[in-house]
Amino acid sequence: MTHVSPVVQRLRITFGKSGPLKYTSNLDMAKIWERVLRRAGLPILYTRGFNTRPRIQLAMPLPLGITSECEILDIALRESIEIDAAMLTASLLRVAPHGLSIHAIDDVDLREGTVQSRIISAEYRIHFVDPLEAGVLQERIADILLRKTIVVEKVRKRKRSVMDLRPLIIGLRIDETGDLIAHLSVGERGNMRPDQLIEAMGLADYHHHAHRFKLHLLPK
Amino acid sequence: MSLQSIEARLERCLLQVEKPGRYVGGEYNSVVKDWDSIDIKVALAFPDIYDLGMSNLGIMNLYNQINLQNNMLAERVFSPWLDMESIMRQQDIPLYALESKRPVSEFDLLGISLPYEQLYTNALNLIDLAGMPILSRDRDERYPLVIAGGHACFNPEPMADFIDAFVIGEGEEIIVEIAAKIGETRGLPRHEQLREIAKIQGMYVPQFYDVEYHDDGTVRSITPNEPNLPERILKRIVITLPQPFTKFIVPNIDTVHNRAPIEIMRGCTRGCRFCHAGMVTRPVRERPVDEIMAAIDEIVQYTGFEEISLLSLSSSDYVWVEELAEAVNEAYGDAGLSLSLPSLRIESASADLLEKIGGTRRSGFTFAPEAATEKMRDLINKYVPDDQVIQTAKEVYSRGWRTIKFYFMIGHPEETLDDVQAIIDLCMRTLREGTKILGKKATLNVGVSTFIPKPHTPFQWVPQDTREQVEEKQALLKRQMRRGGMHLRWNDIDGSEFEGWLSRGDRRLGRVIRRAWESGCKFDAWQDQHKHGAWLQAFDDCNLIPDFYNYRERDLDEVFPWEHIDVGIHKKFLKQDYRMSIRRETRVDCRDKCFACGILPKFAKERSTTEDMAWECPPVTPISERRKAKPIAIPLSSIG
Repeated sequence: MTHVSPVVQRLRITFGKSGPLKYTSNLDMAKIWERVLRRAGLPILYTRGFNTRPRIQLAMPLPLGITSECEILDIALRESIEIDAAMLTASLLRVAPHGLSIHAIDDVDLREGTVQSRIISAEYRIHFVDPLEAGVLQERIADILLRKTIVVEKVRKRKRSVMDLRPLIIGLRIDETGDLIAHLSVGERGNMRPDQLIEAMGLADYHHHAHRFKLHLLPK
Repeated sequence: MSLQSIEARLERCLLQVEKPGRYVGGEYNSVVKDWDSIDIKVALAFPDIYDLGMSNLGIMNLYNQINLQNNMLAERVFSPWLDMESIMRQQDIPLYALESKRPVSEFDLLGISLPYEQLYTNALNLIDLAGMPILSRDRDERYPLVIAGGHACFNPEPMADFIDAFVIGEGEEIIVEIAAKIGETRGLPRHEQLREIAKIQGMYVPQFYDVEYHDDGTVRSITPNEPNLPERILKRIVITLPQPFTKFIVPNIDTVHNRAPIEIMRGCTRGCRFCHAGMVTRPVRERPVDEIMAAIDEIVQYTGFEEISLLSLSSSDYVWVEELAEAVNEAYGDAGLSLSLPSLRIESASADLLEKIGGTRRSGFTFAPEAATEKMRDLINKYVPDDQVIQTAKEVYSRGWRTIKFYFMIGHPEETLDDVQAIIDLCMRTLREGTKILGKKATLNVGVSTFIPKPHTPFQWVPQDTREQVEEKQALLKRQMRRGGMHLRWNDIDGSEFEGWLSRGDRRLGRVIRRAWESGCKFDAWQDQHKHGAWLQAFDDCNLIPDFYNYRERDLDEVFPWEHIDVGIHKKFLKQDYRMSIRRETRVDCRDKCFACGILPKFAKERSTTEDMAWECPPVTPISERRKAKPIAIPLSSIG
């Protein structure tokens, strides 16, 4: 038996989440996209079988409560369409929920591997709504970067384990507006969330917003 | 509290609660109007969590009807879950509506949906969270008017202390009339305003009716205490079903029924004696197939939902069901869309229907034989012979469905352990047939619920099964239905007892509900939240006896607490049907023979304006026409 892939075309959408959508989990976000694509009338490809699912994939989960402008969605199409990024963006946005933004739409080579495996780190801008005293942020950054290890306890499937977060911090700095810019590892090789960083810096009591603005990919 | 401060406070606390997406709104198709330019503001509340309330078609219909009006807006309100409620109370965040984040107390009207009794304490909790006094008499015109509607409100009395006015019957048209009336009467004292509201046909204002009791606790009389009020409040109906709603709000988080419903038919002609819905939703009105097909198209286009369910009380009885299945199959056979058609009759044709309509995702097959002996089937007026059950199951299993779900009920009048044993035997036989066809893959899920006598039904007189009776019957089921491939579900005894009190309760129960809520009762529909002990204590504190409501046989001439609520069915018809059940006499589908339940004379005017096929009740011929046709008998049962 020969298997011919029914995938005719692949699209990659770079999108953003803000407003109420930041409280939507990754799984629910996939459902939102499925419905946006259906409303827009895009010929998405469905998996075969009893419980058919659309062949769409979110590249890197975004923790709940964080806004973003750099999320990646890969879509398989069953019919090819002409890509006019501006027009396609407009037709998707017309049927998108409040808080969804689209930053790029690209054609992806059919032979290219999945994008997940190439994502290694992410950059976040963390804005403190509760003002910190002058110099505190600078101080905490210096402190944490000096530490050799940041051991935290993790409970997963009722099993306790310890992990070291320190190697997952790639860089910390303060930008011109005073926000904390954090460059952290993400993905299977080690994943650190902004809230873990803020906790480790002892700043969890200060109300803050985190925004993911860049995903770093390994070259193809 | 200002708008900004509600949003700012939410922003600080939402990450501490489970599923914060419940509390932020912003969904696709939600309607956000400019607050300052709209005259009449309506908050529509479903008193349980977002995940459940978002699946409620009633709320969505009303939301649509109000938002279609230029001078009105409707927003949604749901119960916060326990974690969120405690934060709201701690942080002084009042109950707010999802669209504008405005406090509910700033709206003109708060409409609470009460489809079932287990929501009563949550309704009180909502009113309290909105910062309003829970008793109707303590709220003046500074507060929004609080109304309630839904199936439970056909006996509004237990909630009479808390709700300013009830909608009796169908809400799609009346909701706009109520909102308009509130606009017209703005500034009037609450009492005056309610007088105006009470003039709308279908509205019931409890404070305008006095209830007197006999010494034994039964009702002596219910009488209006204001001039020009009807003795009985006739329910409101829509003559034809309004265009189906299709711009469903698409939730940003997963919900219980994450799909779009279309009501294909309202009402049922079968006349099962236990069935509240079947009695209170008469007359039967059907939607034309092309209207349904157009609605499916629009739903796909407007919402992107992958699943649509075609709702009715008895889908097989929908006149054009085959045409509908055919049309759906042709249009969506392979479009990644899944349709479900619940409430099918137990017959082989149902397998054909579901196969056609099933689309890609095969939902399970659900049947409700309700009873398993001839005696019980006659008694409840739902007759499905064993062979038909078995034959249908064989048909379903052999077409590749692995799971069948059966619904039975225990606790109907005169039921014995033999009748319960017959349920077990029928299930065993069914599964054996399944195993012959599919081997160990065949499964049978059996839900055995406990019957609760409901107002306005032929069984409104009967005692509910006692705890001991139910315990014994459930024990038998549990003992004998432990078998591979068979899964048994049953109702919690406390839950059934509780539902019984409120179903046939009177106005005095308001004190009990309030006491129970004060002692922490809420989310009573959630088995793990229902505090039965606290309810019993509340009865005790109020000097009322819970058993009075559930376990006594009511006298045939007893005046019921819901006597002044007219669902369009004659009490003498219900009484006659009750007597027939005792004699084990059945009635056929009323499409084949009209039994004069009362709907037609009550709504003769409405019927005379509709097409013959629009209702399942026989058409009412104007007297002039009848005179012309004098030699021929009026064809009362000519339809169907």
